[in-house]
Amino acid sequence: MWRITWRRFRRSRLAVGALIYVSLVTLLAAAAPLIANPARLVPYGPDDVDVAHRLLPPDPEHRLGTDDLGRDVLARMLHGARVSLTVGFLATAIALVIGSLLGAIAGYYGGAADWIVSRAIEVVLCFPFLFLNLGIVALFGPSLFTVMIALGLTSWTTNARFMRGEFLRLREMEFAQAARASGARDTRIMLRHLLPNALAPVLVSASFGVASAILTESALSFLGFGVPLPTATWGSLLNTAREYIQFAWWLALFPGVAIFLTVAAFNVIGDRFRDALDPRAE
Amino acid sequence: MLTYVVRRLFYAVLTFFGISIIVFVLIHIVPGDPVLFYVPMGGSGTISPAALQAIKHAHHLDEPLLAQYRWWLQGLLTLDLGTSITARRPVAELIGEKLPNSFQLNGIALLLAAAIGVPIGLWSAMRSGRLSERAAAVTFFLLYSLPSFWVALLLMQLFSVRYDILPLFGMRSEQYLQLSTGARIVDRLTHLVLPVVTLAYAQLAIFARFSKAAVTDVIRQDFITTARAKGVAPGSVLWRHAFRNALIPLITLLGLTIPYLISGSVIVEQIFQWDGIGRLYLESILKRDYPTVLGLTVVTAVVTLLASLAADLMYAVADPRIRLGGGRAT
Repeated sequence: MWRITWRRFRRSRLAVGALIYVSLVTLLAAAAPLIANPARLVPYGPDDVDVAHRLLPPDPEHRLGTDDLGRDVLARMLHGARVSLTVGFLATAIALVIGSLLGAIAGYYGGAADWIVSRAIEVVLCFPFLFLNLGIVALFGPSLFTVMIALGLTSWTTNARFMRGEFLRLREMEFAQAARASGARDTRIMLRHLLPNALAPVLVSASFGVASAILTESALSFLGFGVPLPTATWGSLLNTAREYIQFAWWLALFPGVAIFLTVAAFNVIGDRFRDALDPRAE
Repeated sequence: MLTYVVRRLFYAVLTFFGISIIVFVLIHIVPGDPVLFYVPMGGSGTISPAALQAIKHAHHLDEPLLAQYRWWLQGLLTLDLGTSITARRPVAELIGEKLPNSFQLNGIALLLAAAIGVPIGLWSAMRSGRLSERAAAVTFFLLYSLPSFWVALLLMQLFSVRYDILPLFGMRSEQYLQLSTGARIVDRLTHLVLPVVTLAYAQLAIFARFSKAAVTDVIRQDFITTARAKGVAPGSVLWRHAFRNALIPLITLLGLTIPYLISGSVIVEQIFQWDGIGRLYLESILKRDYPTVLGLTVVTAVVTLLASLAADLMYAVADPRIRLGGGRAT
């Protein structure tokens, strides 16, 4: 099944491009300390203040210009990618674990368990997403850790819904009944028999989840409630840009493009992955 | 119909309790004693233990947790959300003051997004697969990925800084009161343009995608094939059979967009210095004004709850399968 899905996924050039882009950004982020380093390709650290060269437009020396303290924008963006992707992946992983667990229990056992989980989802969905995240981060103090936990705790609902739906469908299928008849325990049926079959749709929602987490993290940083300064993040770069909007266009342009392309790439991958899984499409 | 409405109302009440419990828990895990919510802060921090005890007693904070919850819930139901630490006024009053400004901004953005997005979605469903439709789909998809705060910055840079045709921020000009009535209207409208565009473009993409999906879903169904087979004109099939059925799910979407709009308004109101609840929320967080923060959290959650309740009830009225059958199929 995975091979067929991959073949169908590959047919979209846009999606393959997005996948290549995401891999590239992940690599660059992982290697940021090696690239943006006084002796290397981008000869500046992310926190190298140089007030004499502040607010310089892009030129061959500072390829994307410098910020209000003379720090190299490219170097800061490379390091910012680390924050964005770490938060994106880990927050989604937390949401995936919570959502899958609750959704699986709700779908498999039904009845009271299902009822409770469904009500819990309704309650969480009532809180405007950004309000809740801002609130949690502010109450517990902004840090990489709180941002990740807050995002994970608030964005599991979609995963739970998908997982619940899949388990509801799968538990009635013959292979699940066969497993039950042969005396397998519930946990074994859920983990070994149902989960592998339910994974694909949940991974689709995880791909959208990464996009949304990156977007929310940068919004929080932009508002000043993300990972605290001086750590460079794409959102906090834009926060600086806001103060110099009158004359320093490069401060606003490049980090925004980075956020947009990364978020769009994860959305495109999720969208194409969903279509590739759907036998009715095309 | 009646069973459906009763069940839906019952769930709404349950959800309300869920919301109240979450916020109550948040109050109690906030660093610092909840009694500080009620202390008129002079900043000196010199308050006698006796006075503190009196405040504690007045606000029932010396009672068991369950009793505290009951008092808090009672306050919530009577719109008593405590007193703002910084403004030294009732939180409910403060929110009531800012809410109309946010409603104005969000309402216009929502109407605009629906008015443009839905026709585009219907058009896309008819042209499904053609080059122009696919180009439009990709455009909307990318639009949805654009961070709104970045779009706002670029719009400001372009229209306010470079070309200076729209105001940079604020709800009205400084000389607003000296203007004639006509000029006042123009002044308010020009201040609305950028914030509304920033709020509306992502919603537009959602509306377009959602309505396209809804129409495509209906077109696949048997009764459309039947209508086609018996020779109903293609235009009539689309308008009378497909669109009317596809519009029903859009009611749900209206309910679902409310929390997104409220979330988005935090960013937009902050950037454009629009005096609404989003900005109040952010400022309260900055000033550690927890009663206001938690009050706003409760109020926005309840507004969302009411919106989704209203959407579900409207759905029931619009869809005879629910009105007569007593429950939603899915």
